[in-house]
Amino acid sequence: MFTTPNLLTMLWASSLDSLYMVSISIAVTILLGIPLGVVLVVTRPGHIMETVWLNKILGFVVNFTRSIPFLIFMVFIGPITKKMVGTSIGPTAVIVPLSLAAAMLMSRMAETSLLEVPTGLIEAAQAYGASKRQIIWHVLLPEARSGLILSATTLIITLIGFSAMAGAIGGGGLGDLAIRYGYQRYMPDVMWVCVLLLYVVVQAIQYTGEFLAKKFSRR
Amino acid sequence: MALIEIKGLTKDYGRGDREVRALRGVDLSVEAGEIFGVIGLSGAGKSTLIRCLNRLETPGSGTVTVDGRLLTGLNEAELRLARQEMGMIFQHFNLLSSRTVTGNVAFPMEIAGRGSGEIKPRVAELLDLVGLRDKAQVYPAQLSGGQKQRVGIARALANSPKILLCDEATSALDPQTTQSILALIQDIKERLGLTVVLITHEMRVITEICDRVAVMEDGLIVESGPVIEVFTRPRHPTTRAFVESVISREDSSRKWGYQPRGTLARILFIGPAAGEPVISRLVRLFKVEANILQGDIGHLQGQPFGVILIDLVGEPAARRQALDYLESLNLPVELLEGAA
Repeated sequence: MFTTPNLLTMLWASSLDSLYMVSISIAVTILLGIPLGVVLVVTRPGHIMETVWLNKILGFVVNFTRSIPFLIFMVFIGPITKKMVGTSIGPTAVIVPLSLAAAMLMSRMAETSLLEVPTGLIEAAQAYGASKRQIIWHVLLPEARSGLILSATTLIITLIGFSAMAGAIGGGGLGDLAIRYGYQRYMPDVMWVCVLLLYVVVQAIQYTGEFLAKKFSRR
Repeated sequence: MALIEIKGLTKDYGRGDREVRALRGVDLSVEAGEIFGVIGLSGAGKSTLIRCLNRLETPGSGTVTVDGRLLTGLNEAELRLARQEMGMIFQHFNLLSSRTVTGNVAFPMEIAGRGSGEIKPRVAELLDLVGLRDKAQVYPAQLSGGQKQRVGIARALANSPKILLCDEATSALDPQTTQSILALIQDIKERLGLTVVLITHEMRVITEICDRVAVMEDGLIVESGPVIEVFTRPRHPTTRAFVESVISREDSSRKWGYQPRGTLARILFIGPAAGEPVISRLVRLFKVEANILQGDIGHLQGQPFGVILIDLVGEPAARRQALDYLESLNLPVELLEGAA
């Protein structure tokens, strides 16, 4: 099937690169994005920790980040990446912009899910003497969890899409392989295998996400 | 001192031109062990008022004292503890959809930091109290409105509060379910020695279980007192409208073309005399005939209460005697036509 024997090795290595970039980014994104989403919600006017200035600043940062195309964003924050992980190229360097861009997206999606929690529930918790922290942990997050799981699913898929651009800063991965070998070296079979692999992974994630969201939905 | 004392309470929303004065100086006191009802149309300020009782709304000015503690002066931590001593139920139940019935009832106890050893038996006890033992592991989405409110009540009682606040608790329920929820509230109030404050726009709720009532309009209490008193002798037009929503004072005899032959009188039956065969005595004692045109007899706090419209036929002197007899029984009579 393959014209060069070491292609299988390359495919394997690329898959590992993709897995490395994406999995760490997913973890960072969720750990950063959901709390940021919570802050975006609770600091809104009239919400439990109303802090309008903080809400405005965070909203601005999130929107600013999201307005930059990922390819440009990756290069744009190169200096910051270098400070954080010691290099601005390679798979490790990709993780920084990938996590940041995805976390901003996650925060907005988490915000939407969290805002769907009826205010009456927050009020009931307050009426029973719940603290702000208890409201976040026992009301907001559990009540929004189904929506949060679906958001995270969409986000992971977007993240895989972003990671295909990692080649621009030498990040490697399946997307990069598809461009460099499949497209630039006219090897359509490589392209096909990469596309197929990505398709299978994305389907699996989507299916799992929907299954979990349904499992946790009680409405 | 009353259990709940409200003095000069005000609350404004918005600013400048868009300012809405939800409360414009409300004074109110609720005695321990009573069911106190606040009735008003939407926008009257009753919802704001009840939410000031546990400071879900921060009042603009005035004071709220609960059980001798100045609620309006508490800091956040103190307020949370004070709130744990009050239960509240809501129009839309506000149950956590991600938790089972058991989880919902346990919620206030978890908030208060009680251990699971204490929570478990208490939840079982509360579910027995509201008759939902068999629904313990069910999620709220699978319950009917009445069952959801029962869960709400069990949850509100979890931390053994002294006070139960009911925010339009039956407004989303059908009449039959309303009846059963009101009976439950009355029952637990008796059994647990609770004090209940409820707000509603339904007069039926007031007549069914309240001891005292306050009528609110436009951010003020326009009339208040024991339910029987307010109900039988309403002074304010709004109160009258609410009373008429339960017992019709409309003269429907006109609609079917009845021509009065004597004195058309409306008699209010209240108190001990309402249990007596007043009309038949009237006919036997005086030379009059009584044609009953319309009647509505129900009960108000376990006492018979009703309104009947009669056409009193006979000689003017006899009619006057008959009416005097009614007055002597302390039955309020209103003459509509053909004064004797």
